[in-house]
Amino acid sequence: MTESLATAATADKTDPVPAPVTPAPDREPATAASQSGRWRRAAVFLVHRPGLVLSAFFLLTVLIAAFFPTALTSDNPLRGSVAERLQKPSTDHWFGTDQLGRDLFARMVHGCARSLQATVLAVLVGLAAGALLGLTSGFLSGWIDSLIMRVVDLALAIPALLLSLALITALGFGTVNIALAVGFSSVAAFARVTRAEVLRVRTAVFVEAATSCGARRHQVLFRYVLPHACGPVLVLAALEFGTAVLAVSALSFLGFGAAPPSPEWGSLVSDGRGYLATAWWLTTLPGLTVVATVLAANRISRAIEGEREESR
Amino acid sequence: MLVTVVAATACGSGGDGTNGTSRAADQIPKPGGTLTFALGSDPTCLDPQQIQLSEGLTVGRHVVDTLTDQDPQTLEIVPWLAESWDVGQDAKSYTFHLRKGVTFSDGAPLTAAAVKTNFDAIVALGAKATLGYSYLSGYAQTVPVDDLTVRIEFTSPTAQFLQAAASPSLGLVSPTTLNRSPTERCSQPPIGSGAFVIDRYVPSQRVDLSRRKDYNWPSALARHQGAAYLDKLVFTVVAESGVRTGSLQSGQVDGISAVSPQDAKSLQEQGLTLLPTVHAGIVTNLHASPTPDRPVVSDPSVLPALQKGINRTQIVSSLLNADYRPATSILSSKTPDHADLSSLVRYDPTAAKKLLDDGGWKPGPDGIRLKDGHRLHLDVLWVPSGFGPEQSTIELIQQQLAEIGLELGVKRLSLAQFTPLYQANDYDLFWARGTTRADPDILRLIFGSKKPAPAGSVQEGIDRILEAQNAITDAATRRSLVEQAQRRILETGYGIPVHEQTTIMGFSPKVRDVTFTASSWPRFTDTWITG
Repeated sequence: MTESLATAATADKTDPVPAPVTPAPDREPATAASQSGRWRRAAVFLVHRPGLVLSAFFLLTVLIAAFFPTALTSDNPLRGSVAERLQKPSTDHWFGTDQLGRDLFARMVHGCARSLQATVLAVLVGLAAGALLGLTSGFLSGWIDSLIMRVVDLALAIPALLLSLALITALGFGTVNIALAVGFSSVAAFARVTRAEVLRVRTAVFVEAATSCGARRHQVLFRYVLPHACGPVLVLAALEFGTAVLAVSALSFLGFGAAPPSPEWGSLVSDGRGYLATAWWLTTLPGLTVVATVLAANRISRAIEGEREESR
Repeated sequence: MLVTVVAATACGSGGDGTNGTSRAADQIPKPGGTLTFALGSDPTCLDPQQIQLSEGLTVGRHVVDTLTDQDPQTLEIVPWLAESWDVGQDAKSYTFHLRKGVTFSDGAPLTAAAVKTNFDAIVALGAKATLGYSYLSGYAQTVPVDDLTVRIEFTSPTAQFLQAAASPSLGLVSPTTLNRSPTERCSQPPIGSGAFVIDRYVPSQRVDLSRRKDYNWPSALARHQGAAYLDKLVFTVVAESGVRTGSLQSGQVDGISAVSPQDAKSLQEQGLTLLPTVHAGIVTNLHASPTPDRPVVSDPSVLPALQKGINRTQIVSSLLNADYRPATSILSSKTPDHADLSSLVRYDPTAAKKLLDDGGWKPGPDGIRLKDGHRLHLDVLWVPSGFGPEQSTIELIQQQLAEIGLELGVKRLSLAQFTPLYQANDYDLFWARGTTRADPDILRLIFGSKKPAPAGSVQEGIDRILEAQNAITDAATRRSLVEQAQRRILETGYGIPVHEQTTIMGFSPKVRDVTFTASSWPRFTDTWITG
């Protein structure tokens, strides 16, 4: 994929302005000119990719919903008026009302915080534990490497959702437990990718140079290897975000999430199932929101990936 | 509402149905055909003596016969395998005179010795036969008086036994099959004397039954003599309620159990027959912990306030449909000796608030009441049963109780997580979907204490009434004791009834004459298919 901000960045290299080692007095205006050009190029880049813009905009809304839910709705997600039950989507209730007369949009917005926090926690757990294992494995090599990688092989052999289900059964119900279960099931993938990158970087000339200059092992690891190995891992994290939204929602759909009446995306889809024939919006709208979030996260991670490839 | 509903009447076809000459062709029962009925969950075990689930008991009801039968409308006990019986004066012994010529499907005859082997085996199963064992509590022995006369003796008075003898949990199987291990009996088809025999069981998928052509000993309630009309009876397992409804609409199955109340209207509009039955036994309720060492739930003002703080009419009108009724007691209105105690369970938020005020619970900053630093918070343990509107019902109760300043938390658990908490009384409240049994003795099973209650405690008083009603054969005295028990359970708030348990079954219009047992399970022995 070639679409990326990197196109703009690479184009800069052909700029007549030399990259100065010492600051030149005439640098200010030149930079300003190049910056305005950069903005223009960025704008052109984005105009040609409405999907990416839309994705970013949507994710932004979701993030606002997660952290400032009251900015989007003033309705109470837990209390409704039973008289207003099962109303179709309208200007009063954008997503309609549920069987207890609660505003579905308010429940989606408030459920967002829970679902998204669980997703972020899941990705962080996967990233931190996976990167640490991968780093150790790739850098130390030898029997430790073999041991860690065989365990990773084993974990990769089990389907992720099945592994999460097994973990949640052991951990018990609740949003945090869902996050941990989903996070742990993605550790193996992170470990594998990190290890591959570490192996690549470890043999690079600058790392060998650092070692020959007498740098200590941990210095080499954290100052030279880690910064150069983390790129693909971060792309994986962005990609994993979409998968984790789906996995967290799936587990909550199955009833492992927060206790009622707290809303979560997955449980909202599940709660509406009984009303599929009479009130389609109860499952359809939450379901579409989850789909849109996953697609948006994937679109953005693809864009980042494209940029990385371009800058190589 | 009638428990026995004739499908032909329900779908509105003409004909008076009794006068042979004026009957239309589709009014005369026609033998043959296969009926496929979709259950909501797997029967899990085929042995009627061991099953607890109503799905399993529904299948079992077609395979085994029982000594007595119970009329679902009058709740009267009528003869089946026993033609008559004598009850000992103190309700400690029951003598049954067995019907002649009854055989099990392996050819073995029904004799007094076979009855003895069966009852001994149920007692030997112990906790594995949860229902049967509790029906036979106090069992001493069975004495075969002669070949066709058998006496069952108890160590203590057991007034509920005649009704228990009508349950498939005390159904009779061929003595030879009782040599099998309990696990084998669960997985292998039982050999009963029923109108159908099980041909095949595929766990979580289906149970195939075919009729016994030589069957000739139906219960006194049967509408026709001789073998069943249906050639084959198939129970399939379709867990998802929406899929079950769809299977019925598309004609893949001829009948389904547990129609969701919100789907009922559209099914009816499509011309399908819906047969709602109200279950006898304990209604859907919040069951409170009787233990005195939980500070909030044992506060004398809390449970009575909770009793008055639930708007049962609103729950039924907004989340269920007209086939459901708000509870009027802890026993359902279909149970013998049910007392209408609506005044004790009337929605009265003002009285509820006053009770809490008087009890020292003062409204806190967020509306939830406080006393001595305790929040008025109760947790309800909830094991989802698969009944669609259940979660919404609990959420609506949460809303209603918040109005009186009581915070209800919900803990969703699996059955495995719930059981130890239940055994140890380690809960405030739990959500009880309801227990089906057409005898008031079910109160003793559910609200009697698991181990002897401390002398002088409220629970001990309730235990005493519950024991007494089981020891009395005089109908009037038993009725008054049962009423006292219901009253005490409601006043203390140990049982907080919500709504009566109803099951709606849906059938294709070509299915006729589906009847129900007193426990509200469908019975297909008189059922036939038109066209």
